[in-house]
Amino acid sequence: MPLHRAIKELEDMIGDKEKYREELRDFLSKSWRWAKEPKYRLIFKIQASALRAAREFLDSRGFVEVLSPIIGPVSDPGIRGAKQAVIDYYGHEYKVMSSAILYKQYMAASLGNIYMVSPNIRLEPIDSIYTGRHLAEFYQLDIEMFGADLWKAVTLSEELVSYMVKYIMDVHGAELEKLGRELHEYKPPFPRYSYKEAHAMSEEIGCRFKYGVEIPWRCEKELSAMHDTPFIIYEYPRGSRGFYDMEDPHRPNILLDFDMIYPEGFGEAVSGAQREYEPAKLVERIREGGEDPAKYKWFLEMARDLYPLMTAGFGLGIERFTRFICGLRAVWEARPYPKLPGIAPTP
Amino acid sequence: MLFLSKLYLMLKALRVAIMGLDEFSDPHDYPLDDVIHRALRGREAVYPFGIFYRYGAVTLGSRSTIRNWGLGTLFLVPPAFVPGRLKKASEVFREPIYTDVDLSTEVGGFKVAMPLVVGSMGSTAIAGKTAIPIAKAAARHGIVMSIGENVATVRGYEKRYNRTHPSWKERAMAYLEELDSRGQGLGGLIVQQSVEDAYNELWNRVYTDKDIDQYIDRGLLGFEIKIGQGAKPGLGGIIKLPREEAEKLTRKYNIDFFEGRNAIRYSVPSTYTENILRSLIRNMRTQYPRVRIWVKIGPYRDVIKVISIAAEEGADAVVIDSREGGTGMAPTVSMRHFGYTTLTAALAIFEARKRGITVDMLLGGRVYDGGDVVKAVALGASGIYLARPLVLSALIRGEKGVANLLESISVETKMAVSALGKYHIKEVTPDDIAVSDHHVAKLYGLRYIHEIPISDR
Repeated sequence: MPLHRAIKELEDMIGDKEKYREELRDFLSKSWRWAKEPKYRLIFKIQASALRAAREFLDSRGFVEVLSPIIGPVSDPGIRGAKQAVIDYYGHEYKVMSSAILYKQYMAASLGNIYMVSPNIRLEPIDSIYTGRHLAEFYQLDIEMFGADLWKAVTLSEELVSYMVKYIMDVHGAELEKLGRELHEYKPPFPRYSYKEAHAMSEEIGCRFKYGVEIPWRCEKELSAMHDTPFIIYEYPRGSRGFYDMEDPHRPNILLDFDMIYPEGFGEAVSGAQREYEPAKLVERIREGGEDPAKYKWFLEMARDLYPLMTAGFGLGIERFTRFICGLRAVWEARPYPKLPGIAPTP
Repeated sequence: MLFLSKLYLMLKALRVAIMGLDEFSDPHDYPLDDVIHRALRGREAVYPFGIFYRYGAVTLGSRSTIRNWGLGTLFLVPPAFVPGRLKKASEVFREPIYTDVDLSTEVGGFKVAMPLVVGSMGSTAIAGKTAIPIAKAAARHGIVMSIGENVATVRGYEKRYNRTHPSWKERAMAYLEELDSRGQGLGGLIVQQSVEDAYNELWNRVYTDKDIDQYIDRGLLGFEIKIGQGAKPGLGGIIKLPREEAEKLTRKYNIDFFEGRNAIRYSVPSTYTENILRSLIRNMRTQYPRVRIWVKIGPYRDVIKVISIAAEEGADAVVIDSREGGTGMAPTVSMRHFGYTTLTAALAIFEARKRGITVDMLLGGRVYDGGDVVKAVALGASGIYLARPLVLSALIRGEKGVANLLESISVETKMAVSALGKYHIKEVTPDDIAVSDHHVAKLYGLRYIHEIPISDR
């Protein structure tokens, strides 16, 4: 299956970077104007349905929805080059959540299977406006399961996404067709490739990258365009992910984590893992990010107190799901009041 | 008698109280005259004349003793027969001279006018004072500059924390803007981040900075992992600062409050293992795909392992700073007892090359003259890391002093390369040097200098 029409449109737009930036500036600075156009009204309604579908699915499986944190002394450091927003919290530096990852484990320890619909702030590098997949402010559906392993998380993510897609087809199929978006049912299990296999597959189609690093966007897009169903890439190598992804105790350098990739060039859907719970391993892995373990003091203390804090989970980007399901050019079309790195002021 | 020894001791004590332990700032040991001469005279400084000892008034000749610092025990040994010069002549259709030598090359992923790098200087008082003139002169001369760790955290990222010390960004922009306006578009800016800087996500901040983005896009930025420095391998950065400034830093640093107005701020040495370094480099390549990754180490005994890991993981350069490297502040015990000298560091580079490692490697530690630059490159170094001579030159004559120093090194380097019958810095090889230390020569398979008459090499 080739790249979706909307992805090609985005590529054409990006062809002239200056012009693209200006177009975005216009689009973002007066977003209330387009927000009431029929196309975007439908998108917002589909977004609401997607959340409803997710809640329906998870609630029926006994998951408990919990409130997400907004600020804390630390947040997720495992994010490509993005800076965290900082606030002065009574003389202490607190971060605005770049993801609720550390708190998901906290609540999974309390309630077992949990989810949150959590807002994230990431001050992304300026060049991420060209990916079509990055916003400075976005929502994630965050899921964590106590006592689960990698494969339980993978399976749940597949079932969740296929349920959500089916739900949207049933409720909005006809309207989406008017938007020019044709949807298909995706039956789990999805195709699953190890990172190693994905690396080989990428090399085969001529998109080369060094084994061991995160798959670059350009190659992820190519791989995505080869597929007509979402697929899983699992077991990323150590050094390419956040410190909380567990390293396989029997196979050094292999992380028990995964991504789900949408087909047709839409790219990453879900990112998840089985979590590291050995305090000594956590300290070592934090050092691999060049940081002082002292920064993550509460988290490390929790890992020791609640030992073994064995959980697995994943996050699904709401705007990315919306973009995919509606066949949109970029995530800046997939939410109201979008914010992109370096573009201000906006509503 | 007792009175006399007491008086002697008191006078000694007075001297120590005033001078401190001048063993480490000693002008008899450090070639201070040489640096001053360069800062004052620029390209003219390639000759040893002054106002009194001027051309025509004195005669000159080499010392018979060997200087025992830097690469003093290595000698450049020019040949009489120079096919390389003939080849050059056939290109330029005249007898080539030293100005025909090309020093432009690539260092650690950056195109540069010559293989010198401004070594990372941090948040010490002296580094703050000289940072801007050094940045400007470096950018104009097309060489890479590194900004040391802790600057953003202690002196401010954008706004100054203290009126007299430029912020991190002032130092960065002085370099980058000069590179655009008066430079040749050559060079690059390296950014160190300590674990204390990581609290504030310095690298992320730089990577997402709107003003710096265009330079990142042009491939002019690099991030440097610091695994120690020459003067204090195994210890973290240390600076002294006023008590009230130190009080603001207690959350991020270990602070030793003396009695009185000053305090000492310690930055942690930070913990590495083979796995941590490997994964850190991978992490950085994932997180910052548009910047170069450098690794800087002090004179460690596992240097070859560090170089191998950095090379395997695709780092762009490894800097080896020897114990002769300068510092704004280091404990006596480390400067007296830790690590090894520049020659050993240079031999580590040589050994790494012999093992087929191709990553760019830089040598630091009292290397500041063109002869030593060429010797280092001959052994396999991709460039030279220098800082102290730049600071001294900036103190003597500001930006002009730094430019003078750089010009003198450039001219000397060209002279040395051309004397070897070569016309590009990259053409020099281990064959161009000889070693006065027989043991070293034997161990590494280098030419022993007194072997020359009996060998045809």
